[in-house]
Amino acid sequence: MTGAPRLDAAVRELLHRALHVYRDNPRATDVLRHQSARLDQPLRVAIAGGWRSGKSTMLNALMGEEVAPVDGSAFTWYEDGPQPDATAYSTSHPPQRLAVLRSATGMRVDLAGWRAGELRDIVVRWPARSLRQVTLLDTPAVGADEQAPDPVLDRVLREADALLYLTRDARGADLRVLEAARQGVVGQAAPIHTIMVMSRVDEFGGGRVDALLGARQLARRALRDPQVDALCVTVAPCSGLLGLAGRVLTEAEFAGLAALARVARAELEPYLLSAERFARGEPPGGLDAAARSALLNRLGVVGIRLATTLVRTSCGSRAALAAELVRRSGLGELRESINRLFVDRREVLKARSCLAAVEELLRAEPDAGTADLLGALERLLSGAHEFSESRLLAALRDGRLDFDADLAAEARRLAGGDGEGPAARLGVGDDATLGWLWEAATEARWRWQEHAEDPALRLAQRRGAQIVVRSCDGMLADLAAHSR
Amino acid sequence: MAGIWLDALDDIARTCQEHGRSDLLQAVRLKRAHLLDPTLTVLVVGEPNQGKSQLVNAIVNAPVCPVGDGRTTVLPTVLRHAEIASATVVQTPSTTPGTPPGAERSTVERTPVPTEQIAAGVAGTTGRRPGAGPAYIEIGLPRALLGAGLVLVDMPGGESSATGASTPVAALTRADTVLLVSDSTRDLSVTELNRLLHLTRSHANVVVVQTKTDLVPDWRTVADRNRRHLADAGIPATLVPVSAALRLRAAATDDHALNAESGFPALIALLRRDLTGKPDALARAAVVLTARTVVEQLAAPLRAELTGAQSVEQSAPMTRLHAAQREVDELRRCSTRWQNTLTDEMADLLSDIEHDLRDRTRHILNTVDEAFETADPLVAWDSVAQWLERSLVEAAEANRQWLVQRCEWVARRVADSFARYGHGTLPPWPLAVTSEHGQPLPELERPNVDRFTMGQKMFTGMKGSYGGLLMFGLALTLAGLPMINPISLGAGALFGGKSIRDEGRQLLRRRQATVKSAVQRHVDDFFVRVSKDSRDAARRAQRLLRDHFAALTEELQADIIESLRSAKQAADTDAVTRERRHREIQQRMIRLAQLYEQAQQVAAARPAPLAPRT
Repeated sequence: MTGAPRLDAAVRELLHRALHVYRDNPRATDVLRHQSARLDQPLRVAIAGGWRSGKSTMLNALMGEEVAPVDGSAFTWYEDGPQPDATAYSTSHPPQRLAVLRSATGMRVDLAGWRAGELRDIVVRWPARSLRQVTLLDTPAVGADEQAPDPVLDRVLREADALLYLTRDARGADLRVLEAARQGVVGQAAPIHTIMVMSRVDEFGGGRVDALLGARQLARRALRDPQVDALCVTVAPCSGLLGLAGRVLTEAEFAGLAALARVARAELEPYLLSAERFARGEPPGGLDAAARSALLNRLGVVGIRLATTLVRTSCGSRAALAAELVRRSGLGELRESINRLFVDRREVLKARSCLAAVEELLRAEPDAGTADLLGALERLLSGAHEFSESRLLAALRDGRLDFDADLAAEARRLAGGDGEGPAARLGVGDDATLGWLWEAATEARWRWQEHAEDPALRLAQRRGAQIVVRSCDGMLADLAAHSR
Repeated sequence: MAGIWLDALDDIARTCQEHGRSDLLQAVRLKRAHLLDPTLTVLVVGEPNQGKSQLVNAIVNAPVCPVGDGRTTVLPTVLRHAEIASATVVQTPSTTPGTPPGAERSTVERTPVPTEQIAAGVAGTTGRRPGAGPAYIEIGLPRALLGAGLVLVDMPGGESSATGASTPVAALTRADTVLLVSDSTRDLSVTELNRLLHLTRSHANVVVVQTKTDLVPDWRTVADRNRRHLADAGIPATLVPVSAALRLRAAATDDHALNAESGFPALIALLRRDLTGKPDALARAAVVLTARTVVEQLAAPLRAELTGAQSVEQSAPMTRLHAAQREVDELRRCSTRWQNTLTDEMADLLSDIEHDLRDRTRHILNTVDEAFETADPLVAWDSVAQWLERSLVEAAEANRQWLVQRCEWVARRVADSFARYGHGTLPPWPLAVTSEHGQPLPELERPNVDRFTMGQKMFTGMKGSYGGLLMFGLALTLAGLPMINPISLGAGALFGGKSIRDEGRQLLRRRQATVKSAVQRHVDDFFVRVSKDSRDAARRAQRLLRDHFAALTEELQADIIESLRSAKQAADTDAVTRERRHREIQQRMIRLAQLYEQAQQVAAARPAPLAPRT
């Protein structure tokens, strides 16, 4: 796109050169071959975060089924497969099949016979459409030690292409841990592979009904913090618990909530003051203790408050309530962000993680020629316009740039947000001739050049416009190469 | 009761004074004033977003501290009693760490803030002059609990506001009770436990408040786990689970059951107990902590000194003594060394010099022998004798020269042994090259040699020619020639000549032999005399060197013995003072231990663990 070869092609070329340099080093060759194979595999998205930050709940919400957690101290991989199936990899034993027990809303893995901490990896194969293009990765808690790079996060960054980093408040220790894990020139480059998720937002503000709205504002404010901005591509507020509840809500649960909603508000309110009151008291509505505790587990006390209000006001059916819960939880937006920023840009992300791995190898095992390769890698990275485009697309999604809608749409289109090909970028039909494309690209380029130099625009907007101009330049260079 | 702990505190203060620690004294005095002050200062600390401000609000039942999404407390908020609700930003103009509320009022700047701007004030955006020192917001509220003397301090979250707990001296003057706030959605983190450990070292009364119990159905298990964590870490802190939401709700609806459920009555009872118990139980506990901090601070340098004293061997006087002893040994070794060197070198020198002389004379003799192998002494004697004399004198001089050089070299080598004392001087040198010949060399006398005189030649010729003449004459008579004929005459002459030549050669041999033996004798004489001279000279040099260096050694020895003696004296006195100081330190330590025990007795109800000491 930029006249130079596309990023993934350039990365394959770099891998090839590295293989040549390390041809006598079997260990390094293994690493490089593994990276090369990973380029063709589905995108790996890891869900990481501090202790009890809601990682497994978030994974379940994303999959729409209750499949996590399997083991709190092992990396759990969720891959697409025809049959539910789980394999355990431990440090001491050969790989072993695990028994999978299906439940109404997901599955449970039988871990009998394994000691805690013995398992290193568990690979779960699960038939799900959402796993077709993405491998999800549930991880152990990231420690709170801020001095050294965290070993778990280190491994996550090595093994995964993209990262959902769960944090409660996008401040303090979480940021420092993420900052400490940035190593090498690839790690220091634009962080297009991280979405920071403000998790458990339903508990914000002491569990008010409008906590989720507040969380959205908080996320916007966090994104304006340069320290946060340097660590992630966007900040998404999302309550995994409510999202999951929305996706797996059963008719029985809805019936229970509807029964609660039929009770007068003033009569019900004292019982919804605390989880314990709801579980142990005798609230009206005729729910038995088991049903109440199931509802608590599914929604939490905040969720029940919200759900009864919703049933009372607008949502008369299970489907309507489920949709509203998903909408309010922020899960829909998070999934959309993942699709736009991760799945659509998977080539860039995989190229990026491959570069990171190659860099680590080059630095760990210096050899004749590695200095040259490192130089080539840095050149590649500094010329990687794809990273800037990813950042621009994320900023456009958040509305951070405050372009008006038309301008934002055009910028997204030109930066490759609607498709990679020049026709898709320029918004013309696929049958457009080369001359037509050329004309459209030149016209777009000059228009955006003007935006980039318009003193009335804010600095961030002008920078965004500059990225669009460069995308146009790249297209023009490509077209010129084609016409020859 | 109060009298006892006051006495103990005064004892502590006196000890601080005795030890000359005015900083500690100041801290203890502040603490004393603080303990006599009937108000109970409660510090609310914890990680961000745990509900600290909400907890404060719930305690006083008023929305004084702003809470909500992302609202972060930036300035510490101090809640105290007032008849009319009011708010003030208090700022210390200097940069001294935040003064405790109630102290040094006169030096702070007070800016009243309208109550509706409290939120902005707490966020640190209003009423604060930039560039000035730390500030806090003081809020007055008409509340019975506050009126009873409770002062609540809501600290900003995070570790940056570590309440000065890092320095024990500063912490002495701080709050009476610390509430560490942690919410029920998770267990106490490692950071929080570490912080608690820190707090319990400086604060007598630490309470963990587990907030937000309304959110989590299983808060009881979380509380149990937290209590276990506390017990495992050895933190003597009580844990109180509360729900601010329930409390505020209960206040709004005036629901006593709900209030009881919120857990706040227990917390407030605890605070009230502390408040009423402050002049007694709490003060006693505080005295123990003060005693501990002070004793630790005072004992640390003493202990360090003791450990330092245990390594007496390293002290300065001892080092000097050891050095002096080493010096003595070294000198002894040095003296043996130089004597050995001198003897060995001199023996070597003698044999070398003699050998050299012999070599030179043999060389001269050989030359002379060769010369007289062919030359006739009669002709060559004078020149040979002259050359011989010159050569011998030269040889003697060269030999002598070498002797002198070797002697000097030996002297220098011996002097090298004294190099480390800086006494490398050589003795004044008495050997000279020429002046030392004891007796002049004997004259070489011309030996008596036989000359071949004319008469002898004639006689020898006649004798020879007679034989020839007769032989040939007789033979020729047989041929008929006369006896005397030209042939026989010629033969006679031939024979005569040969006899003369033979005789002459024999005489020459004899002369040469005579001369050679004469020269040999002469050279032997020369050798004997010169070698004797050299020997004498070498011995004289040896004796001279020995005397010189022996004197030097004695001089050095006297110096070193003197320094040894003084070092020993110094070491002795040092040991005595050290012993005295040691006893003094031990007495002080005992006194400190007594002080601590006394303090503990004051608070017999709750002894605090003390770090084991040696």
